[in-house]
Amino acid sequence: MEFINAFSVSLQAVWNDSGFSAFTVGNGIMILVGLILIYMAFVKEFEPLLLGPIAFGCILANFPNTGFFGEEMNVMKAINYGISNEIFPPLIFLGIGAMTDFSPLLARPSTLLLGAAAQIGVFVALGGAMIVGFDIHEAAAIGIIGGADGPTSIYLSTKLAPHLLGAIAVAAYSYMSLVPLIQPPIMKLMTTQAEREIVMTELRTVTKFERVVFPIVATIFISLLLPPIAALLGCLMLGNLFRESGVTDRLSDTAQNSLCNIVTIFLGTGTGMTMNAHDFLRPDTILIIVLGLVAFIGGTAGGVIFGKIMCKATGGAINPLIGSAGVSAVPMAARVSQLVGMRAKPGNYLLMHAMGPNVAGVIGTAVAAGTMLAMLK
Amino acid sequence: MDHAVTTNPLIIMVINMTVVFFVLVALMGLINLIHIVDPTREKEPELSDEATESAENAAIIAKLKESASEPVQIEEGVSPEVIAAISAAISAYGISGQVKAVRVINRNGWRRNALDNGIVQV
Repeated sequence: MEFINAFSVSLQAVWNDSGFSAFTVGNGIMILVGLILIYMAFVKEFEPLLLGPIAFGCILANFPNTGFFGEEMNVMKAINYGISNEIFPPLIFLGIGAMTDFSPLLARPSTLLLGAAAQIGVFVALGGAMIVGFDIHEAAAIGIIGGADGPTSIYLSTKLAPHLLGAIAVAAYSYMSLVPLIQPPIMKLMTTQAEREIVMTELRTVTKFERVVFPIVATIFISLLLPPIAALLGCLMLGNLFRESGVTDRLSDTAQNSLCNIVTIFLGTGTGMTMNAHDFLRPDTILIIVLGLVAFIGGTAGGVIFGKIMCKATGGAINPLIGSAGVSAVPMAARVSQLVGMRAKPGNYLLMHAMGPNVAGVIGTAVAAGTMLAMLK
Repeated sequence: MDHAVTTNPLIIMVINMTVVFFVLVALMGLINLIHIVDPTREKEPELSDEATESAENAAIIAKLKESASEPVQIEEGVSPEVIAAISAAISAYGISGQVKAVRVINRNGWRRNALDNGIVQV
């Protein structure tokens, strides 16, 4: 009898401590969402490096009684600390900087204007979000999805609307992976066949002096003007300096490989961990997804329109298709410009020309985030 | 975080776009300045100056460049090792055949594309 009682009490205790006893329908739905994201990441290969960890983090976040976010420190809490204290996005930028070649931008600085014009999507979405009822901080965090820059979206969300981080990150990375599907119809709609066929002249050679001095000068200028993004821009340019200096190959290699990969795992998993049923299963999430799409379309259209303006202003020397690359999403958006250009005129290589606005878009999105932080904090 | 200067979406949009353009235009100026003060800069060839004059000139120059790079017969200078490497690369893509001619193209697209493949998604 005593054995049966002890067995019964033990079983009861195991059941009470298990996740099943506190499992809700919401948890089930979110695990399903996580599984769909895993399918998209690993089977469809939509941004697998980031969407994969995000999806698995989403599943982990919806197991009850794990104590991940309790009083005691644990690995998941430590990862979350790196997200909520804006540690991971700048470290990702360090790696991106080490991988980025600013030469196309330095060879044709006017493409910075295309990177600026594409930020219109950010502010269109910001206005739209305010109109549908989000407060100004939430609207700014949602709008930055239009920049197509994951780390900056996460950086701004943690500062302005941490409760929306999961939805914003998923929207940003989902749309970034869908750039090849979203952008071409807009680009074709807004350009003529003749414009798409424009062959741009070769870029000039950029010297090592220019490539080394640029990250230093840009960091000093932008950090003094917009201190809230000094960490982001500083890390981006430091990584680039590692790459371009020619004497820090080991640091460059670490930044663009080991460090970037480690931080990507933490950033993705930690972002996914914010997708618990309570915060994610709300009508706001649907609105954020829709507004993110509006932001993306707005950014693409803004870049192409400005590309057309530059085309007219230069007497047809600029192919407007490179304007769409101003939405960041390096190098996917530039590849889309190349692809659409090649379809219009086989043999027309726009890739390097589009890399200029593409990297300008990274800087532009960070500047847009810094401006909003300066205005709203 | 409750000291927002304004909550009017239109004003926020206008101010932010102005600042973004201002910063990037200033950055454009700085890039041009770096180029001007660059002590390692070589004098730019006359051809590239002409090329930037107009799209029409650019098209003519591109046409001239294209016509200048006529197909080069294998027998006229390309080493057998190079031909072997090209043939191996083509075979690796599952295409059978024989290399008849090697044509030098004055474009860096392929090389740059390969370099670019090293850049990951932001």
